[in-house]
Amino acid sequence: MTNSIQEFEDADLVLVTGSNTTAQHPLIGTRIINAHVRGTKLIVVDPRIISLAEHADLHLRQNIGTDVALFNGIMNVIIAEGLHDRNFITTRTEGFEALKEVVNRYTPNVVQAITGVPAGDIIAAARMYARADKAMIAYAMGITQHTTGTDNVKTLANLAMLTGHVGRPSTGINPLRGQNNVQGACDMGALPNVFCGYQSVAVPEIRAKFETAWGRPLNDKPGLTITDMMSAALQGDIKAMYIMGENPMMSDPDTSHIERALANLDFLVVQDIFLTETARLADVVLPGAAFSEKTGTYTNTERRVQVAHAATPPPQEARTDWEIICSLSTHAGYPMAYDSPWDIMREVNTLTPSYAGITYERLEACHGLQWPCPTPEHPGTPILHRDKFTKGLGTFLACDFKPLAEVPDEEFDFILTTGRISYQYHTGTMTRRTNLLEREAPHAQVQIHPDDARRLAIRNYDLVEISSRRGTVRMQAEITDQVPRKVLFTTFHFHEAPVNILTNPACDPISKIPEYKGCAVMIRRIS
Amino acid sequence: MKRLAKKDLTSVLMEWAEHHALICPTRQQPGDIIFDAFNPETFILDYGKPPLSPKACFLPHSEVIFTVHDGAYQTVSSSDKRLIFGLRACDACGLQQAQRFMTRDRDDIYYQARWDTTLKVVVACSGPQNETCFCTTTRSGPIAAEGFDLQVYDLGDELLIEIGSEAGESLTIGRAFTEPDQKIASDALEAFCKRAQAAIPLKPEIKASIDALKTDSPHEVWDFLGRKCITCGGCAFVCPTCTCFNIYDQAVSAYTGLRIRAWDACLYGGFTREASGHNPRPSQALRLQRRHEHKLRYYHALDIGQALCGCVGCGRCSDFCPVHIGTLEVAQTIVAGGEHV
Repeated sequence: MTNSIQEFEDADLVLVTGSNTTAQHPLIGTRIINAHVRGTKLIVVDPRIISLAEHADLHLRQNIGTDVALFNGIMNVIIAEGLHDRNFITTRTEGFEALKEVVNRYTPNVVQAITGVPAGDIIAAARMYARADKAMIAYAMGITQHTTGTDNVKTLANLAMLTGHVGRPSTGINPLRGQNNVQGACDMGALPNVFCGYQSVAVPEIRAKFETAWGRPLNDKPGLTITDMMSAALQGDIKAMYIMGENPMMSDPDTSHIERALANLDFLVVQDIFLTETARLADVVLPGAAFSEKTGTYTNTERRVQVAHAATPPPQEARTDWEIICSLSTHAGYPMAYDSPWDIMREVNTLTPSYAGITYERLEACHGLQWPCPTPEHPGTPILHRDKFTKGLGTFLACDFKPLAEVPDEEFDFILTTGRISYQYHTGTMTRRTNLLEREAPHAQVQIHPDDARRLAIRNYDLVEISSRRGTVRMQAEITDQVPRKVLFTTFHFHEAPVNILTNPACDPISKIPEYKGCAVMIRRIS
Repeated sequence: MKRLAKKDLTSVLMEWAEHHALICPTRQQPGDIIFDAFNPETFILDYGKPPLSPKACFLPHSEVIFTVHDGAYQTVSSSDKRLIFGLRACDACGLQQAQRFMTRDRDDIYYQARWDTTLKVVVACSGPQNETCFCTTTRSGPIAAEGFDLQVYDLGDELLIEIGSEAGESLTIGRAFTEPDQKIASDALEAFCKRAQAAIPLKPEIKASIDALKTDSPHEVWDFLGRKCITCGGCAFVCPTCTCFNIYDQAVSAYTGLRIRAWDACLYGGFTREASGHNPRPSQALRLQRRHEHKLRYYHALDIGQALCGCVGCGRCSDFCPVHIGTLEVAQTIVAGGEHV
């Protein structure tokens, strides 16, 4: 997030898109509801009638995968009506003319035709967002899990810069991260192209710093993303894989492809707390420690680093991840002799400018610190891009609308979109072993609109079969008008109905995120 | 009444620990206070209001209630001799309400076995532990009226010990305990109780909400609260009087396995969902209404004893609800009648 969680309470307007906030970030959802009760305007942009939409002053239900067109349309209205922030654009940004040229083509009527959102609502949303003094955008995987995910985010950034809703309290572009420490994992360099703190492997001075610290020459070529690794494994270019706390047999798109890729490896190691669908395929399984069994830090969606202490020791031979990695590294000929998470954090402090001042000593005495925090005295940074953008001027990167990689046709006539529900988490490795949560949500359901259900003679809770070009799964139908016509929504939590057999592995060209939010399927009742 | 020098308390606890499994407030790293096995290193007397009531001593978060080995059923119930030191009056009252509820019209052998084998030592509060305490309103504190074997009053350097049962009295036969001057002791106690009572302000919204609930409350109140509730169930887990549980089986093989009971909460949809999929309480608003009406309206007179209602005013739900729907806030909303919602 460019801004902080508590700022939702003071915003004049919140625009939520691609986030089922009350279900997936309930405390942020409640802040938004509280703010709305006190008068904050709320715009929800989501094809589904999520529960936050019931509070919204305006709910735009765009066709799936048409986000760029919709937000270009909103910017078109803002520029046409002169509601853009000329001062901000002049002093803080570059590339406005190029943006204008692109969004000029996205008039409300054109956008209505693409997105299905009435032109009047597009105009209303544009006016509300641009006229608000402090407006926050919150988004989640509904924006990123598309072949145009990067374009979607760029377009939201264009919108915020166009109206000067950046760098001040209760403004900004605020991705709500999908897992409690995905921010921390990225910060620590669990990405193919950077060291910790997003320091590029391609920059010689940065590489030299890490080579000195670690006493080894380091590769200057970015590694592979998960999606690329799987293709490389299938082609035989990767021979061995070490998977930690990830269950690609359930979570990655086109499961059949993943299964073939993993089977083609010479050697697979999986480190996890339970024997997951992926761990079952491993040559070696390393038992890790669960969250309550290890001490360390988590970095949340507002870049706040917080310390958590082990409540119980790991069972039997399970060990914390850092201990396993150190031991493995030592056996492989590079001794790692850290004695504690404190010890590791001291190295993080020396090598990561944005974490330099985030020490355990400080974290133990407060409710966390938000990076960048470059010195031991620095109070942390609740708001990014205050006086200037990290790169200097903010560049408008105009994008054109591109349709879903797989659009429905006569045969596969529905769009399937996937997500999560409150009671289960991801591939269910933990939550499906929790009795109460399993009681709350024991099996997969697919949401279908009542009109579609009637046409296909599907009744509530009927067993249905959903097929895509890649496979078939069966699950229970839930008839609800929360989904638009010709759209199905389901989750990827249930191994009995592993929905990623269906999803399209087509990826965003830059982020390599697969298009989990839309693929073409057909559905029929099983009699 | 007995007297004990405060400096002797730890050695008394060590003595008690020789004959009982002693559970008391402990300070864990990095500072959390929980009821746990006595250890002179972690025991503290200045423990305020522990985040979790000691209800898990009687209704554990999860417990095996029977096992099946090759088709033979074996009940599992606890008969350890235990002593809980440091109950607050509100918790003692809450636990007693829960005990009556669990055993009033059925034979809950697992609960009752723990209850019967556990001695309870209350430490009276000299004032509010924090701003959400309202035991003076619910008539459940700051001094316990019943439901203890001993009650300890902290008078500074010395502790006065009120005897609540024969079993309690037998705990005080050691040399460390002396007979206080009865007049001085009862004057000191009276002053302690008066000061403590006066220090915990009444919350008139609780009584007012109970009155308001005698007729049906406007559904806007519950709709408003229901939209905010994130269904975490935390209020039920920290509540000393909440006793909802679920049972589930773990099969090891065809003829071997076990049955477990574990905490549940009426705020979860699945708690009332029927086999057909129909749910008589289909919305979070209705589930919240049910929970709070159980505390403030539909409690059983036999369960609550001398207390005001099914809430004992510990204030933990207000302390810990991440979206501020504790009993205090609910009462305030009911009294406002949905006008500000």
